[in-house]
Amino acid sequence: MLLGPPLLGALLAAAVKPYRRFVGWTNALLSLFSLGAAVVLWRHVLAGDVLTSGPGEFLRADALSTLLALCVSLVGALAAWLGPGMGGDDGYDGAQARRFRIFANLFTLMMLFAVVSNNVGFMWIAIEATTITSAMLIPLHVTKESVEASWKYILIGSVGIALAFGGTVLGYFDFVNLAGHREAALNWTVLMASAPRLHPQVIQLAFVFILVGYGTKAGLAPMHTWLPDAHSEAPAPLSAMMSGVLLAVALYAVIRWEAVVNAAVGTKFTDDLFIAMGLLSLAIGAFSLVIQRNYKRMLAYSSIEHTGLICVGLALGPLGTFAAMLHLLNHALAKSTMFFLAGRVLHRYRTTEIRGVSGLLTAMPWTGGLFAAGMLAVIGLPPFGLFISEFALFRAGFAVGRPWLMGLVLALLAVAFVSMIGHLNRMLYGAPAAGVAVGEGNAWPLVPLGLCVAALVVLGLTLPAPLRALLTRIVEIAGS
Amino acid sequence: MDSVFSQLSVMGSSLVLIFGLILLWRRGVTAYISAFTWQSAVLSGVTALVAYFGHDHELYWVAVALFLLKAVVIPRLLRRMERRFAAERELEPYVNTATSLVISGLLVLFGYAITRPLVAVSQLPTRAAMPLAMGLVLVSLFVIVSRKKALTQVIGFLMLENGLALLAVLGTYGIPLIVELGVFLDVLMGFLVMQIFIYQIHETFESIDVEQLNRLRH
Repeated sequence: MLLGPPLLGALLAAAVKPYRRFVGWTNALLSLFSLGAAVVLWRHVLAGDVLTSGPGEFLRADALSTLLALCVSLVGALAAWLGPGMGGDDGYDGAQARRFRIFANLFTLMMLFAVVSNNVGFMWIAIEATTITSAMLIPLHVTKESVEASWKYILIGSVGIALAFGGTVLGYFDFVNLAGHREAALNWTVLMASAPRLHPQVIQLAFVFILVGYGTKAGLAPMHTWLPDAHSEAPAPLSAMMSGVLLAVALYAVIRWEAVVNAAVGTKFTDDLFIAMGLLSLAIGAFSLVIQRNYKRMLAYSSIEHTGLICVGLALGPLGTFAAMLHLLNHALAKSTMFFLAGRVLHRYRTTEIRGVSGLLTAMPWTGGLFAAGMLAVIGLPPFGLFISEFALFRAGFAVGRPWLMGLVLALLAVAFVSMIGHLNRMLYGAPAAGVAVGEGNAWPLVPLGLCVAALVVLGLTLPAPLRALLTRIVEIAGS
Repeated sequence: MDSVFSQLSVMGSSLVLIFGLILLWRRGVTAYISAFTWQSAVLSGVTALVAYFGHDHELYWVAVALFLLKAVVIPRLLRRMERRFAAERELEPYVNTATSLVISGLLVLFGYAITRPLVAVSQLPTRAAMPLAMGLVLVSLFVIVSRKKALTQVIGFLMLENGLALLAVLGTYGIPLIVELGVFLDVLMGFLVMQIFIYQIHETFESIDVEQLNRLRH
């Protein structure tokens, strides 16, 4: 149920040539089925089940998979509804819309497959496939910039992910030495069961490869260099999917391995690595925000900053993991909304320069308003969900006795805060440049985006019980 | 018996590594493609060797698939691209040949250092060759970051994959067949997409020199 709809959507889009509008609509409806399946999964997991299926427990969904499946199918649905080829003038022709529909569906499919695969080998294959499918979409409009961005993305992404494969091989090597060849030896459950007896040095070496490899895809510094280029040059729906959930899926893979390593050598080793990489990403993200002149790149650097924050959270004990997972959900909602809105702004102003955009509130009052709200959410102000998760993260940090670390993180967040507020001001106020039409235009895409912002406000005011239960179960799985 | 196997695996792996080093001191993509083809053929031979001595019949299939994919199909596609861009040669890498060779020597040593726990833990007769595979992984990474032509970077990436495949077969006698097949599929798809992008780079920039890819900064 979860994996079927995107597969059908991709096949349909590939079969119908030339592109017709009904493909987009069918695709959008199918995406709701995936989302529904993820919600059903949520209910099952809360009832205490772990769903498995296929030969040798090939697919397996626990609480962690469920959270990721929810995020992916939600952002996938947004992309399906707001993507090219739904009618109206959206700046894409039929061939581009067809290509988008094929590869965006495959991209969603691979991300969903990665999070419900029990076999860490297949998880790797799926994540590698996300690189390939999403890279095909970056140069939807062929320009020098988009070609450059896609080349950097596929090369750095593939090399990174190849290193993660090296880590997977080393982990498997450790297991084979211990228990010999077994049919399901790459299954995460089997690895977990034998983790306490794994050789510490070997599994540590494996984890370094895993962290560098999947960290490249997650946008952790210093392997983040592809990210701002790819996010800023990709079409808006793809940027939303990459920033909102692709980074999260890569982190998911790291968390799966973290659980194995923690069971083998204790938490200190992974904690130290997470803090080092997280802080570096936060710092690079925050200071790059100061000098940004391009609002899509600004959002991309903000993603690096938030990934760093999640990474630090993972190192702060059970409370920190709880906060990090909540932050992951909030960030998926907020950042994908922002990229869709940025796409609308770009479509109207025809520039990605912050300087070129002024009077957003006059030219597009609703888009501008949502953009402002989303931006305030992204920088972590109340009453939005990200404020709550950042607050929880700080509490966790003080609880485990790391006040200095928290002070440093707070200072970096303040840098990001100040610079993004400044950029936002420049975009919202003033008079729109001559030649920029005033008025919303096609306004219905704002409805789902408005709902996302509303959901962020809800998450900022309360933590619904089902979500709390889900996150509590995840903390048990991650074992930190 | 085991010592013959051990020596053969070390010899095969050394050959695989040496073909990787050719990228550092030869100029011209043609030489790189031949080096890659031979490297893949030897890698496939090492895989078959492990299949024979390790009595693992699945690995024969992996060896055959590896040979077809990396020693026949991909080199053929690479040659076709090379003919398209015949006028372009790898002239000056970011790091000159002498320095490159010294750095690679150090990287191979580093490979030995970080694989020490692996060699100490393993009981397999192939364990002595594992540092060579790690060395190839590191040298390929260095090739990717120090070369300017998109095509050379792709060959570096393919060699990185070869290094990892060698590590897998030496250390574990091969990962499960079904996963291996998925990996092959990914390698092929990834390579095809890279190929598309190289053609796009050539069309939009009229060269495949990645130094020109500098429009996106900060």
